[in-house]
Amino acid sequence: MAQIKNRIRRLRFDNDEMTQEELAKRVGCTRQTIIALEQGKYVPSIELAFRIATAFEVPLEEVFQYDISL
Amino acid sequence: MAPLQKRALYGLVFGTVWIAAIVVVFIVKGGVNTFGEDQGFRLIMDGLWIGGLIFFGILMLTLRKQCQIDERDRLILGRAPVVQLWAIIFLLVVWTITLTEIYWEQGIPPIFMYLIFMSVLVVSAIAQSIGILIGYWRMGLNGSN
Repeated sequence: MAQIKNRIRRLRFDNDEMTQEELAKRVGCTRQTIIALEQGKYVPSIELAFRIATAFEVPLEEVFQYDISL
Repeated sequence: MAPLQKRALYGLVFGTVWIAAIVVVFIVKGGVNTFGEDQGFRLIMDGLWIGGLIFFGILMLTLRKQCQIDERDRLILGRAPVVQLWAIIFLLVVWTITLTEIYWEQGIPPIFMYLIFMSVLVVSAIAQSIGILIGYWRMGLNGSN
């Protein structure tokens, strides 16, 4: 499992319950990639990570956290 | 299902039908013994594998235009040739051992050059689809970084 955790699902709900499809369109990836990210089954590139943070208008570390305990 | 995954699945379904058609026609028309003497048979086989290859290419190109590919898909796509390579190596090993065992005494008929080439092309095309599907399956199972 990935050591990098994310709060994408939480942030989507905090942003007027943004759908996975809508987020995918905003950041330029497929909905399946958003699903994989939320399930912790895929770690995005730095570029995609920044695009996601920009879509939520928050700093990168509010979306992704490095879990050192694993 | 991701668009690329869907594309690979269509490729695999077509590829399976394609291989089955080639094998069935080859056996029904008389196999290795008739192949050298019957020009009509050879033309049918040519039509099947070249036509299939062209159709496969058109199918993949058409689906490619319709499908959005992102970095995760590209990662999986980039790893698919490993499956292609193993499939081809496995196929060549099977051909080599089988032909050596069967034709050791009398020598291998030249028709097998044609059959080996045809099978490598067909298996290579299908193995890419399998590689993509395995990529999605493994990513779903273990995740990926």
